[in-house]
Order: sequence, then C-alpha cells, then structure tokens
Amino acid sequence: MSARRSLYPEIEPYDTGKLAVSDLHSIYYEQCGNPKGKPVVFLHGGPGGGIEPRHRCFFDPQAYRIILFDQRGCGRSTPFASLVDNTTDHLVQDIETLREHLGIEKWQVFGGSWGSTLALAYAQKHRERVTEMVLRGIFTFAPDEMDWFYINGTRVLFPDAYEDFVGELPPEERDDLIGAYHRRLTSDDPEVRRKAAKAWSMWECRVATLLPDEGLVAHCEDASFTLAFARIECHYFVHSGFFGSPTQLLDNMESLAGIPAVIVHGRYDVICPPRNAWRLHKAWPGSQLELVPDAGHSANEPGISSALVRATDQFRP
Amino acid sequence: MPRRRRFYMDFEPFDSGFMKVSDLHTIYYEQSGNPKGKPVVFVHGGPGGGTDPKQRRFFDPQAYRIILFDQRGCGRSTPHAELTDNTTWHLIADMEAIREKLGIDKWQVFGGSWGSTLALAYAEKHPERVTELVLRGIFMLRNKELRWFYQEGASAIFPDTWESYVAAIPPEERGDLMKAYYERLTSDDPAVRLAAAQAWSVWEASTSFLMQSKDYMVHAGEGEFALAFARIECHYFVNGGFFEVEDQLLRDIDKIRHIPTVIVQGRYDVVCPMMSAWDLHRAFPESELKIIPDAGHSAYEPGIVDALIEATDRFRG
Repeated sequence: MSARRSLYPEIEPYDTGKLAVSDLHSIYYEQCGNPKGKPVVFLHGGPGGGIEPRHRCFFDPQAYRIILFDQRGCGRSTPFASLVDNTTDHLVQDIETLREHLGIEKWQVFGGSWGSTLALAYAQKHRERVTEMVLRGIFTFAPDEMDWFYINGTRVLFPDAYEDFVGELPPEERDDLIGAYHRRLTSDDPEVRRKAAKAWSMWECRVATLLPDEGLVAHCEDASFTLAFARIECHYFVHSGFFGSPTQLLDNMESLAGIPAVIVHGRYDVICPPRNAWRLHKAWPGSQLELVPDAGHSANEPGISSALVRATDQFRP
Repeated sequence: MPRRRRFYMDFEPFDSGFMKVSDLHTIYYEQSGNPKGKPVVFVHGGPGGGTDPKQRRFFDPQAYRIILFDQRGCGRSTPHAELTDNTTWHLIADMEAIREKLGIDKWQVFGGSWGSTLALAYAEKHPERVTELVLRGIFMLRNKELRWFYQEGASAIFPDTWESYVAAIPPEERGDLMKAYYERLTSDDPAVRLAAAQAWSVWEASTSFLMQSKDYMVHAGEGEFALAFARIECHYFVNGGFFEVEDQLLRDIDKIRHIPTVIVQGRYDVVCPMMSAWDLHRAFPESELKIIPDAGHSAYEPGIVDALIEATDRFRG
C-alpha cells in the first residue's frame, strides 16, 4: 500500500454568502482555495448534515476553487430544520442556482453518503455541468439499502446500539421504525422532537466509524446538529428520497458513462454497506472503485480521506 | 491500550493417540501442557475444521492439561470427510469417551464458532462435567444465522468475494444456495465435490479476518482441507445442527447458567455476527461478554487472542 495521504491544512474561505433560493429558503455557501482554480463543489451528507471546516481540506487549495454549501434547512442555511419545500429536486436546483450565481460553467462534484446520492441525482440531470465525480460511502436509495440500515442489516453487527435505537419507541410502534421516528421528529412538542433527534442521530454516530469515536458520539449529543440532521434525514427517508422509483439512480448510470469517476468505500461501512458501491461500480462504465480495507462509513477514517485526497489530486489541472 | 497478550510459546504434546469411537470412525486426540494441570478441552470449529498446533497455545502449559481432538471426519480423524454417523450427538458422545478414557472428572470447555455451538450443546447435556466455558464467535445454528452468511447478509459487506461464491451455482438454483451447495458437495463426481468445496471454503476464509488474508484464502482452498470442511459444515447446516428445535441452545440455557462463562466476540465478525453473542448474553446474563472492537471472526485476531488468554489465565486456578 502506498503511504497514506493526509488532508490539506485547514484554510479559511475567501468568500462567503447567503443565497435566497426560494421565498422561504436561503442557503449559506463559501468559497476557498484558489479563486482562479478548477471549480469543485462539495456535497455534504445526511441530508441535514451541514458542512464543516475540515470538508475544505479534501482539495489542494492551490489548484482548486472549492465551493461548499449547507443544503436547505441545515448548517447556517435558514430556516433551520425546515422541511417545507425540501426535496431532492429542490436541492438539485439549488446546486444549479449556486453555480450560475458564481459564474461557473462546469465543476467537479464531490460527495459522500447522502452527498453521493445528491451528486448522482445532480449529474444525471445536468451531465454537461460535471467534469469529474469523486464519491464516497455510496447510497442510492435502492430498496435493500434502507432496509439494511434500519431493519435487517446493521443491527446484526451492532445489536447493542440497535437496542437503544429501538428502545426509544414503545413496542407497538417498532414494526414501522422510520414512521414512528418521523411522527416524533415532526411533533409539535419540542421536547419530543429533541429526544427523538438525539436517539436517531446516535444510532448513526455509533456505527459510523470502524472503531468507536467518542468525539463523533459527543457531536451527536448536540441538539444544534441533531435536530436538523434527524428531521431532514427522516423526512427524505419516509419519502424514499423523492425519487420516481427506488432504482432511479442505478437505472440511469449509462447516462454518466465517460465521466471520470472515483468511488471510495470502506469495507466496514455498516451504514451504507460495500454492496451499494459494488453495484454502482458495475452499473457505471469507466468508474474506478477503491474498497478501503480498514474503514467504516465516515469520511474522517484515515484510509478514506487518503483515497479521497488522492482522487482529487489526480483530477487537478 | 495495555499491551495485548500473545500466544504461549510453542510446545509439543506429551501424549497423542487414535481412539475408535464407532465401527466406522476413529478420532485423533492429543494432550499437551502439564499432565497434572487443570484439564481443558479445545473444541474446534467448522464443523470439519480440525485442530492446529497453534490452538494449544491459548493455554498456560504450566497450569493446564490441554486436550485437543479432531472431530469425526476431519484433521487426522478417519475416514476423512465422512458424513455417516456424524452428528452433534455423536460428537458429544465422543467428548465423553475421551474424557473417560483420559480419566478426567471435569474440564474447562473452550470453543469458537462451531466450537461454541458444540461447547454449549455439550455443557447443556453434561453440565456436571464443565468447570468453565470460554466461548468465541458465537454460533447457535439458527436459520437467521445461516441465512445471514450463506444467502443474504454478509454478502452486503463482501460483495466482491460473494460474487465467486455465487458464481459456482447456476442462476436458477440461487434461491437456496446452501441446498445447491449440499447437492454438489455430496455429488458422486469427485470433481464436482471438490469445486464446490473450494468455493464454499474460500468464501468463509475471505470473510474471517478484519483484514482479509490472502494466505488464509489460499489455504482454505486446498483440496484435502476444503473437502472435509465444506462437506461436514454443509451436512450439519442443512440438518439444522441435528437440534430438536432451532433455538435449542437458548431454550436449555438455564442448565448452564451456574457455569463461569466468558464470551469473546469480534465486532466485525461477519461469519458469526454479534447478534448471536448478544442473544446468548441476554439469555445468560451471568456470562461475561467481551466485545473486541477491532476484530473479525478468527480466533487469531490479536484482540481475540488477548481476550481468550485473559480468560484462560483467569481460570487457571
């Protein structure tokens, strides 16, 4: 194995702003790196996860003009945790609105987890705007993917964490976990929402890394994060990502043939298991797949961040 | 993290022999360590895996009188890969025959994977003969465990090696892969048996370590080993382990709850996933459950070796 790459050093944005994308929603965005560099857009996960400063560091700041934004309802976008007019099509449109606002013709699209879903949805709609794709922790909303994480799969390896996740609900509501959580996350009672948001997020944080990560678990105690994360995720999940069919993304991969693409996936990603990446790779002519042997789901896993940095380096001008 | 315990230094048996246990079967056994030490019997996995000299080294040779034996049809036991008169109840009777022949009143029972199944079944049948139980990679041979590994579950984590396992079976028979394998493993044609045995064994080998071991995969595909391993495993599995009811080991758990018991489980054991260790521990709350965060299924994972030796050291008296 070649030596592992670390992230680029932390940097500050040279430009930030808020863009009104509808009567209701404004999204926060930032630009970092080289203003004359090759444009790349970073799509965060969740949905509802928001951006973090370390997300800037997957890209060579000398070579790239790095654009990050908080998707509707999360991070510094407003209104916080709003589910109104918040669908995949809205987010795809926001990416286009932002691109035009910044006067960018084409860009590289980089995303992990839900960020990979949104990246694929965006590229399938606006193929001509995409120069390359770098995707991690693949999630396509195929029927067995939701089932794996919430019903049948992850619980087999993490029965202890699952017991806590399910234990939050009364026994009679456990047959429809996502529905039961959705009711609580959209309750009128802020305390009910808060409690459900914490349990929902904790399930994901406890299984996101190869080894337990106390810092990540603490992050999932923080209501300023969990409320948007849990509400928006669950909203998308009960609506099956707002896709016309659960295999919509996989069925249209031929349309992305020829786009230089790297798929990075952790072998022990138990949130989005490697099967998701394998299937995408098989359906996507020309894509490169790297399975990282000692990594879970998180982009912060050393083997994952290394593979991602190598991919963006490879696509530098 | 404190330094992990490693295997005891290599040592040789002070006694070994063959014992005729039926008109057909003869089994190999050996004794090592201290002839006056505390007796422990090592129960190997598979079924059909056979013993390995390294397995002596889970025990302090000054403190223990260590008994290893090859279960019917595998290792040095004869006839090789034989399925006739080869059931859980025969193996339990064989353990009793060895115990009596060696003049041992009670012993510690140590086993992982199928070894945990047989150890539990033995203890539930002869609880008065068991001083302690040290179990690893819990397997109770329930349908959901078999389905997870041979039909759908582990396939999501190892889609790459799963492809080879599935490729050995024609598409129209893939609805029940275990049955399809059983037909081939018991075919009259030796070439068909061997090809199926290799694919079956390599699938398991590819998923047994946290970090996949190519050497181990090569070893598992060697004809002699693969044939006994795959044939005997599949024979036991299609017969539900010869249990009266699927969850017999849990049903009868109260018979052994007085026995000091340690359960060691790798978090990323995808062969015998943690669900079963958890179910066992919930039914047997007096047991001690140690989850190893950075280990898969194999007894040779560093964290598993450490926890197993910690347990045998503690029980050495």
